[in-house]
Amino acid sequence: PALTREQLEGVTTASTFVLDQPRCTFKDYGNAVIWLVVALDKDIFNNNSAGPGTPETAFQSFPESVSAYMTLNATLDSYPCPKPAGDITVLRVGSETSCAKDASRPTCNGPLPGPGPYWVKFLALEGSVPVAETAWSKPITLRTAKSPSSIPTAGSGHSAGMIAITAILSILLAILLAALVAMLVFCGSDSCGSSTFSKPESVTVRRYNTHHVYDQPAARL
Amino acid sequence: MAKSDDCVHILQGLLVFGNVVIGMCGIALTAECIYVVSNPHGAYPLLKATENSDIHAAAWIGIFVGLALFALSILGIIGVIKASRTLLLVYIILMLITFAFEMASSITAATHQDSQTSNVLLKQMLERYQKSDPNNNSDNEVTKTWDELMRQNHCCGVNGPSDWQKYTSAFRDTHSDADYPWPRACCVLDAKGLPVNLDGCKLGVSGYYNSNGCYDAMSGPVNTHAWGVAWFGFAILCWTFCVLLGTMFYWSGIEY
Repeated sequence: PALTREQLEGVTTASTFVLDQPRCTFKDYGNAVIWLVVALDKDIFNNNSAGPGTPETAFQSFPESVSAYMTLNATLDSYPCPKPAGDITVLRVGSETSCAKDASRPTCNGPLPGPGPYWVKFLALEGSVPVAETAWSKPITLRTAKSPSSIPTAGSGHSAGMIAITAILSILLAILLAALVAMLVFCGSDSCGSSTFSKPESVTVRRYNTHHVYDQPAARL
Repeated sequence: MAKSDDCVHILQGLLVFGNVVIGMCGIALTAECIYVVSNPHGAYPLLKATENSDIHAAAWIGIFVGLALFALSILGIIGVIKASRTLLLVYIILMLITFAFEMASSITAATHQDSQTSNVLLKQMLERYQKSDPNNNSDNEVTKTWDELMRQNHCCGVNGPSDWQKYTSAFRDTHSDADYPWPRACCVLDAKGLPVNLDGCKLGVSGYYNSNGCYDAMSGPVNTHAWGVAWFGFAILCWTFCVLLGTMFYWSGIEY
């Protein structure tokens, strides 16, 4: 068995993992019940020593008093061979939360208690006699979650845009204030006004008719 | 004399034109800031909860600055045409005050863009989403906002559903990892609000859960608003700078 090759987000989570179903693995064992063995130490488990549903392989005692448990029993009918193309045929180990603390359900497929690593294999039993098995899988390690306080939220520094805006606007404001001060100091009193900028009303030159006679025809004597 | 008369008229014309532009830009700035303030898109409660609503402070200042610019531009036009020293002095001083306020608004809006990193939002989400404390109102706001956000935008978490797996959270404290690898709002929901395929969602089969993060949906509109307020304000201020310098030069040349 191995972690599924399907593209699933939840292939491993903190307390579950997903295996491919053992399709086309156990042929000729139509009468057998196929169990999944999940172990923390693969060398301790002995196929013949304990059967499923006994306290020696109960999920609820895992991992304190029991080093391996057996779960997810199915007959070969559940795993028809060949697998139809396009179907997602997986087993989610750790999905049953309702029986996790229920000692009367020792074959519960409960959530795994820690990150592992776990070894799994499939075991086919006829009655209580093991007739076939797969090899142990590679060690499967689950995800560990970090605390959110480890997220760095220090100020990311100021972007170039903000620095540019601040600098340029400060300079502009400073120039304006300096110009204002200069304007008031030098031109506050009457010393700057020049006649070139004179006000519209004051430059009306009133046409003054002198009593001057123009175009008087020459007096004809 | 004719030539300097022409110079005067050209300068007056330029100043009037400059003030007209300032007046119109003031109205535009007011309109833009009213839009930003009254269009607080869905993620606003999250921003408020992170105590980072600089963009709203900047926009409120922008509304009043815009109106002030419009009023002052009218004053400026009258002052230039009448060549009145007092009017123009009042105009210059009030414009400088408005300049300072708009500068503050522009810088605030630009700063806002810096501080909205995805990490701040991620931390806030992990610490407060579904935090089961019925007394704390702002946490319930955060939860409601996130649920709305995830449902409407079909997204999950800040960077993706893996946020809920990578970090422990208030949500994880009350919901077991096996039953809820990520919140139900991350699942594809049917018309009644129930997951279309709960097992598919828990497994993470594409099509039954939202695989992308919500950060783009959240930060996009806010950053656009902040960008608009900051840079439009900057452009107006640069133009105002030129007009003010011209006005000061004109003022110093007016006969008393």
